[in-house]
Amino acid sequence: MAPTQVGTGIGIANLPNQRHKIVAKNGSNFTLMVCGESGLGKTTFINTLFTTTIKTPRTYKRRFNKTEKTVEIEIIRAELEEKQFNVKLSVIDTPGFGDYTNNRDSWMPIIDFIDDQHESYMRQDQQPKRNELSDMRVHCCLYFIRPTGHTLKPLDIEVMKRLGTRVNLIPVIAKADTMTPTDLHKFKKRILEVIAAQNIQCYTFPLDSDDEASTKRNMSIMAAMPFSIIGSTEDVVTADGRTVKGRQYSWGVAEVENEDHCDFKKLRQLLIRTHMLDLIHSTEESHYENYRRTQMETRKIGEPKVKTVTNPKWKEEEEALRKRFTEQVRLEENRFRSWEQQLIAERDRLNKDLEAEHSHIKALEAELEAMQAGLSPKRK
Amino acid sequence: MAHRIGRRKNVKKGFQFTLMVVGASGLGRTTFINTLCDADVVPKRESDEPDMAHVEEGIKIKPYTVELDEDGVKISLTVVDTPGFGDMIDNEYCFQEILGYLERQYDDILSEESRIKRNPRFRDNRVHALLYFITPTGHSLREIDIELMKRLSPRINVIPVIGKADTFTPGELADFKKRVMEDIEHHNIPIYNFPYDPEEDDEETIEENSELRSLLPFALIGCEEEIMVNGRKVRGRQYPWGIVEVDNTQHCDFAKLRFALLSSHLQDLKEITHDYLYENYRTEKLSRTAEMSE
Repeated sequence: MAPTQVGTGIGIANLPNQRHKIVAKNGSNFTLMVCGESGLGKTTFINTLFTTTIKTPRTYKRRFNKTEKTVEIEIIRAELEEKQFNVKLSVIDTPGFGDYTNNRDSWMPIIDFIDDQHESYMRQDQQPKRNELSDMRVHCCLYFIRPTGHTLKPLDIEVMKRLGTRVNLIPVIAKADTMTPTDLHKFKKRILEVIAAQNIQCYTFPLDSDDEASTKRNMSIMAAMPFSIIGSTEDVVTADGRTVKGRQYSWGVAEVENEDHCDFKKLRQLLIRTHMLDLIHSTEESHYENYRRTQMETRKIGEPKVKTVTNPKWKEEEEALRKRFTEQVRLEENRFRSWEQQLIAERDRLNKDLEAEHSHIKALEAELEAMQAGLSPKRK
Repeated sequence: MAHRIGRRKNVKKGFQFTLMVVGASGLGRTTFINTLCDADVVPKRESDEPDMAHVEEGIKIKPYTVELDEDGVKISLTVVDTPGFGDMIDNEYCFQEILGYLERQYDDILSEESRIKRNPRFRDNRVHALLYFITPTGHSLREIDIELMKRLSPRINVIPVIGKADTFTPGELADFKKRVMEDIEHHNIPIYNFPYDPEEDDEETIEENSELRSLLPFALIGCEEEIMVNGRKVRGRQYPWGIVEVDNTQHCDFAKLRFALLSSHLQDLKEITHDYLYENYRTEKLSRTAEMSE
């Protein structure tokens, strides 16, 4: 049925404006995860992106005290305001990922965290009272790739495969000022080939939109994936006198916002200016719905999830405990066995004594009978 | 001073030197070797199939020999490359591979020495120095860096270097070097730190060695191509914001390291390998065999 055109305006066209007012008053909430080995500029990037110190840089004083080999999940919350619009920002960092000699299963805490947020939202949604939902579902995950110039590492591939099916995954090339333009171009091409060959799902968005300018911009953003980034919160002066955010080398200044130097501007466009809503919606409508569907196929409403704890540190502890347990069981069994031997020996000894007594009694009885038999004929 | 006199005697015969380079891929190891020898010694890494990128290949040990001419002195340089180090998900196995290779060379010498009739043309494959490429994270040493240097320093002279040092601004580089040296001291890792005796050696030697010691870990940049800068041809990397020159000591420590390895400290590294590291290994091994046969 085709919609009927209303003749003189009755005010339906004002609905978007009303909606805008409601949305503007409520603000929004955005959760961004940064994942990658340490030393790739994740903290600096976050601070550069939001032009404010969301996360303070690391201090090195206590680095000699750390002895555990864990991957942690660190949540940093901030509230940003621009022109009276509020955004509750949550940044999830993953310190410890990829930093150890053995990184087997180090992605488990990260994957579990993402799934847990979907789970938590689902459970809250199933409660009788559901007006105050705390929603920490991850809207976007930036995976930081080390600028080796070769290809993706096996660890990168393993993690990205698992992330891509659960969250909007955007690969970025960290510290891109290490690579010359030709090297960078080759590296990007290699990464895209590997992503395609390994079936890693990265974030994509609809390219076509209403106006030409947007379509062109969307296409140029998509073409730049994976985004090469340089992060810096410091102001430096370039050779031609401009003051910009950048990094000052002995041989020149690498600028953050210069599109010839890196793709920072494009990524910021994508994350904040144009596609933040799409990131939020696709998380809610696609990733969350996938999760909900797979869970509900096997579980009833209200039933809690079967949890398996898989942090690698705990695996080692589990192994150690198991070994101790088996050892103790073995010792106890040995103890019982020798005790049993002793009891059997004791029993045999007592049985022998009993037999000896029995035969003694029999002998006495026989003697008695013999004596009685000998006695009675004499009486006659 | 003694090593300088020795040099004059051996100039005509030439020297033999073996260097091992260890580091994760993508740190400029191969490029460094080619830059050091000023030739295409190690071929460029072949592109693997994208659908095989998830396969963990494990570490390989590859020696390459090249003849160099340093100011009229002939040097037969063997470079041992170790591709695959640190690239797997679980890297515990890598250390043993490298250690095994080093100890096999010592074993060869040991058995050759013990022969009744020794071969005069026996080739000494002992490795005299190991350049360990530290990942330029900007923070401090990683677990794998500490483990490797700790395990290998009893058998070989370990010299830590920073690969792809053009990641750092001058301030960041100084901070990183400081933290790395703090870590090395904290974990008691006995690296080769250009030793000198303040009482025995002459002023020139002391100054030279202190300077090299203060540059540790050496910041390296590698480049095989030549580009034009102000009308001269230099080896360098061209960025949109400037050009980094490999041979410029303001930009990196490559030139100083090269001179130390191939000229000034070549003899010292060989002597320490033979008189100290090899002797320790020999003692340990022979006492172990003696214990076992009791």
